[in-house]
Amino acid sequence: MLQISNLSKTYPNGVHALKDVTLNISNGMFGLLGPNGAGKSTLMRTIATLQDADSGSIMFGDIDVFKQKQELRKVLGYLPQEFGVYPKVSAEEMLHYIARLKGIADAKERKELVKALLEQVNLYNHRNKALGGYSGGMKQRFGIAQALIGDPKLIIVDEPTAGLDPAERLRFNNLLSEIGENIIIILSTHIVDDVRELCNDMAIIAGGQVVQRGNPEALVKGLENRIWSKRVRKDEVAQYQKDYKLVIARLAGGSMMVYINSETDPGNGFVSEKATLEDIYFSNIS
Amino acid sequence: MFGSIFAFEMRRLLTSMSTYIYFFILFIVTFFLALLAGGAFPEANFNFAGEKISANAPIVIDAFFAAINNYIGIIIIVAITGNAVLKDFRSNTYTMIFTTPVSKFDYLFGRFSSSLLVALLILTAPAFGMMAGYATPWVNHEKISAFMLAPYISTYWQTIIPNAIFDGAIFFAVSLIARDIFVIWVSLIVFFIATGVSNSFFGSLEKQTIAALADPMGNFAKRTISKYWSTYEKNHLTYRLTGLFLVNRILWLSMAVIVWITGYSFFSFTSSPRRVFSKKLRLADSSKITFTPVTFNRNVLPNVSRSFTTAANLRSLWGLALNECKTLLRNTYFRIILLFGMLFLFLVSLQIGKLYDTTTFPVTYEVIEYFGGTFQLFIVILTIMFAGELVWRGRDFHMSNILDSLPVPNWVFYISKLSGLMFMQVILLTIIMICGIIVQLFKGYTNFELAVYAQYLFGFRILDLWLLAVVAIFVQTLVNNKFVGYFIVSLFYFWNSTFALIVLKTNLLVFNSDPGVVYSDMNKFGHAAFPYFVYKAYWIAFAICLAALSSMLWARGSELKLKLRFAGTKNKANTPSWLVFVVGVLIFIGCGSFIYYNTNVVNKFRTDFEQEEELAQFEKKFKHFENAPQPKITDVLLNVDLYPNKMGVHATGTYVLKNKSSQPIDSVHIMILSEAKVNEFRFSRQAQLMLNDSQSAYRIYKLAQPLMPGDTMTLAFNTERYKHGFKQNFTGLSTPVYNGTFINSQGFLPAIGYNGRVELSDNNQRKKHGLGYRRTANPITDTAAYNYNVFIHDADFITFEATVSTVPDQVAVAPGYLQREWTENGRRYFHYKMDNKILNFYSFLSARYTVKKEMWNNVPLEIYYQKGHEYNLERMFNGMKKSLNYYSNNFSSYQHKQVRILEFPRYSSFAQSFPNTIPFSEGIGFIADVDDSSKDNVDYPFYVTAHEIAHQWFAHQVIGANVEGSNMLSESLAQYGAIMVLEKEYGEERLRKFLHIEMDKYLTARSNESEKEKPLAYVDDGQGYILYQKGGIIMHALNKYLGEDSMNHAVKRFIDRFAFQGPPYPTTLDFLAALRLSTPDSLQYFITDAFQKITIYDNKVTDVKATKSGDQYNVEMTLETKKFYADTSGKENVVASNDYIEVGVYKNKNTMLRLDKYKLKGGTTKLSVHVNEKPYKVVIDPRMLLIDKKLDDNEMRTDEKDREEKKPAI
Repeated sequence: MLQISNLSKTYPNGVHALKDVTLNISNGMFGLLGPNGAGKSTLMRTIATLQDADSGSIMFGDIDVFKQKQELRKVLGYLPQEFGVYPKVSAEEMLHYIARLKGIADAKERKELVKALLEQVNLYNHRNKALGGYSGGMKQRFGIAQALIGDPKLIIVDEPTAGLDPAERLRFNNLLSEIGENIIIILSTHIVDDVRELCNDMAIIAGGQVVQRGNPEALVKGLENRIWSKRVRKDEVAQYQKDYKLVIARLAGGSMMVYINSETDPGNGFVSEKATLEDIYFSNIS
Repeated sequence: MFGSIFAFEMRRLLTSMSTYIYFFILFIVTFFLALLAGGAFPEANFNFAGEKISANAPIVIDAFFAAINNYIGIIIIVAITGNAVLKDFRSNTYTMIFTTPVSKFDYLFGRFSSSLLVALLILTAPAFGMMAGYATPWVNHEKISAFMLAPYISTYWQTIIPNAIFDGAIFFAVSLIARDIFVIWVSLIVFFIATGVSNSFFGSLEKQTIAALADPMGNFAKRTISKYWSTYEKNHLTYRLTGLFLVNRILWLSMAVIVWITGYSFFSFTSSPRRVFSKKLRLADSSKITFTPVTFNRNVLPNVSRSFTTAANLRSLWGLALNECKTLLRNTYFRIILLFGMLFLFLVSLQIGKLYDTTTFPVTYEVIEYFGGTFQLFIVILTIMFAGELVWRGRDFHMSNILDSLPVPNWVFYISKLSGLMFMQVILLTIIMICGIIVQLFKGYTNFELAVYAQYLFGFRILDLWLLAVVAIFVQTLVNNKFVGYFIVSLFYFWNSTFALIVLKTNLLVFNSDPGVVYSDMNKFGHAAFPYFVYKAYWIAFAICLAALSSMLWARGSELKLKLRFAGTKNKANTPSWLVFVVGVLIFIGCGSFIYYNTNVVNKFRTDFEQEEELAQFEKKFKHFENAPQPKITDVLLNVDLYPNKMGVHATGTYVLKNKSSQPIDSVHIMILSEAKVNEFRFSRQAQLMLNDSQSAYRIYKLAQPLMPGDTMTLAFNTERYKHGFKQNFTGLSTPVYNGTFINSQGFLPAIGYNGRVELSDNNQRKKHGLGYRRTANPITDTAAYNYNVFIHDADFITFEATVSTVPDQVAVAPGYLQREWTENGRRYFHYKMDNKILNFYSFLSARYTVKKEMWNNVPLEIYYQKGHEYNLERMFNGMKKSLNYYSNNFSSYQHKQVRILEFPRYSSFAQSFPNTIPFSEGIGFIADVDDSSKDNVDYPFYVTAHEIAHQWFAHQVIGANVEGSNMLSESLAQYGAIMVLEKEYGEERLRKFLHIEMDKYLTARSNESEKEKPLAYVDDGQGYILYQKGGIIMHALNKYLGEDSMNHAVKRFIDRFAFQGPPYPTTLDFLAALRLSTPDSLQYFITDAFQKITIYDNKVTDVKATKSGDQYNVEMTLETKKFYADTSGKENVVASNDYIEVGVYKNKNTMLRLDKYKLKGGTTKLSVHVNEKPYKVVIDPRMLLIDKKLDDNEMRTDEKDREEKKPAI
């Protein structure tokens, strides 16, 4: 159980990245959905002991993250949003290195583990290649492999699919979904599908605050029969925005589709749409 | 387009804080330097160019301005111009810029010119720093002359701007080619190495022109201009942009253009640089793999055990450290640097141990010291650089996101990085060792002394470097920017290694300080080792504190604010680090106290200023006794017990004192060094201690019965001197040492009467301490001073007998002949006795000697040497024989029955002549590697031997009175003897090389004279360059002008008249009188010019033409001669002249066809001579008889004119 209580953080440049964030997260895959700049990474980094908050606390079981960073690190697997690699270092070498740093002192055990991990993330054939030459997907798979070293109880995966092509993304999500149930995995992303595919619990964060929280399906259920769509001209969008609770206006074959939130049938040519997680997302961040 | 790029970049740089920080730092450093030079800290003796040169003389301004910018400014140039384009790659803005229609030239030149311009603006800071410094009221106004703007401006235009353009072009070009900041730093190192090599290479006289051109910074070119400048010129002239200096500037500016264009043409608007070193493969996941779904089964992962105990952490640390080392070794740049380093070492190895342009054998300590010295900067730069690289590597490669969240304590990270850096230093030292051995092998030297390598490099050297590593990493831990870190560490290193000691005075406050280590083959590391390691323990404790702090403040995650990190140190998890910190502090305080106890309590610590003050006090208190009549010592009987292992000496003995004056003497004054302990002074008649000044160690005994003229009495004494603890600075020979003791009588035996020689002699210092002006020596007309000789105040010629004892495995030596040797109570005794009278000046030596003996005319010749130093014994024996022959044939017979040369450790580099005993430093001569086949080599073991043997005549037979000029009678005459012996042995041609070096030394030194240059006949004893260099040249010239026979006859006449004579002692006037007797009227002017005036010529050949007429060649030549008299301020005035000057015609480089002596009037003379063979060149004054300001225009080849005329046609 990860308890985040009243977390606030303001950067020296005045950006209020987290505003009184409180979240309780239990085992399973937890999706943290939010647009760019919503404070996701700040929150992730704060949980991952890389950053301190101005106020509030994070407890992971008995571990007070701010006071016992070292303890948390022992049970943490972290795949950062961005990470580089040293030039000329192979995946195998790097995993060895990290395994050692994660306290696996026995060389033989380390070797076995690294081998198994590489096989599991399908990088075994490329184990001797320098990481610098890896494609985006391979790099992310390497990233998850390193995060899994040391049997972590808390895994933080920060925007792992950003920038991956659809096939790679699928494959990566596949991999994530297999990781396990008895631990907490926090997946931060701005891609709604990721959360839909993977998570049984989620929160939407925007402007540094948690604006929506719950099981994705339950959330979608809450919007059932309330989403209506209509094809309009581009110059009409502003008017619709004024008149209705606009969820999103998106391009569709040269004109626009507007989606609105309405408990009753708005008429005016609107047709009912099946609610999706995306609708939840957009109605919360706009 | 160019305009907007330029303007944008300028704006960006000018609004950047770092620009102003750089400016401010340069300003502060030079401001401080100016204060220091201007004497704002009277206790800090910092003299840049000599006492007489004002602190803001143009030459000093130029030197400061250029040096600050060449060494500190260059880092700024790297940071600004090196980053001008690179930053686009770092921040990925290149993708936007490269896709705009901007032209490559506009982009690159805009970036370059704007960054260079900003750098140039920053580089003006030293000028303002100096102006401000010199204008403050704190400087000593006597050291400052009126403000002139011109020197600042001319240095800025002539040196700063061209150098900055050159540096900027290099670093800019490298940044374009490599697109890697690291490569730029590597190129900075290569740059330093290249300048280092050219400096070391072109040091010799012949290569000065090349050196002047090869130095991109222009220092050598400037040096060729100002080398022989007089004090006056140094205070008033600025460098003019002419001659070699101009050529140098043009040459290197063109180089800058070439380099720039090279970089330019290498660059293209692409995202990846053209690879210089290796091909980078981009790996694409094969499509087959792409579409296979990944099935991940966490259960197949093996179970592993993890532990986070300290032991496990230590094992991780080991792994991490290994990894750091591996990474380092894999670093391409590091390998390149190593290659360059090795290349550098091989190149400089040719210069090892040069003295008189002659190298020494590459004995291990020489190789280490030479390599270590020249390589030092290299290692330091690499340390500073790699410290940044290691600390910042995780962040630079964005790897820190992963690494920082791993369960690894800070200290493991910290120590692993530190180990990596230390490992690098070990590699560099290993390189020194490997290159050293290779160099030794190539030079045919196979005594590798691996133990010395190991001890010197990995016992002593490495500690210094490791300590630096800790500091460098500490700084990089604190700062938020790697470059700021580099800058701070460089600045700290610069300050610490140059000014810290001057300002802070006690080396307890100077980071990494130690008293110094000197290795000697005789005494090994001897007594230097213990204090060294105590100091290092002190600094290691300090480093431990820094390490604990570094580890606590280690930047982790994205919380880089120092304030937050400091707050974090209070975390409970840091308790062990604080504990380490406290232990460090305790050891630091402990060692510091121990050092303080040794240097300031057991030993007296005095700054230079305090020492001067003591001398001043002494003079103020006792000067009035100077003329109080005192008895003189006539007989000396000594028992001297040397304790090499305890570094002590104990002496008992008796002086016979005689009243040689015409007045009764009622009190006896005794001086003895305050370091010596007096156990007893006992007179043969009743005497009462009236005054005992412990600080000056001055005692006055009142005699119950006055000592009447002609009466004698005895003084029996019992004194000792031991080394206690250690001092701030390593002292070599003041007490006995473990092996290789050399101490003389003044160190532990009493002397009689006030000794004026110890008075503070520097008149600037005297003023500071409230003393009046003091002549540097008694005037030559002071006949009262004729009663004392110039060496020893309290005796004339004495009888001498001594029993010396030492440890059983050593041989102890004192002047005299060995009467008996025996062993008693586990000690070895030697009884020496002198059969004729000697000066009251003797020494004691003791070491584990090997002895080699030869004979010369029934006189045994002996060399006592360190086993292994056999190289030049034959040359020394030859020198003894040849010189004994020459002197006894030409001057007078040798007064002793034996000659002994004794080696002593290289703590000092000199040889000194005592009666029949010549201590000779292992640093000069014993390991010289004279190449007889080379015309450039000077056989200085032979020459130094000849010089010292000559002292047995000049000093020990005749000695001058205690007036100005008298030292000439010993030094210049000894030099004369040695030069004649050298010429007889090696011929005129080889001697020329020697004379050329001596001429250069004289002219350089006179240009740096701090008081005033005196004519040879009135020379002061501190003016070595006149005594040795000018004296030798003049005496040699006189020999040629007068003829060898009449010259030697004059010397002989002088010796006959004054040898072994007590007072009145002769003066140079007596010597000149003897010379003038042998000099024809036509040459009397030469004696006056040479001895009583400061005479300098500027002779040259301006035109030569050879035409063939029949079998003969007619050589027409135009000669120009100019004579100057210099006054004592250094100002030179041309005088009318009509002097004898030789002209030689050569058939090739070294063989003379004919030599004629002409009487040449000042000005231009045309001459023609006939020769039988085709002439090659004409040389005016080929035998270097006259002091000539500029020697390179003294010759002209016969075909030189032709070549010049042909040039335009080509």
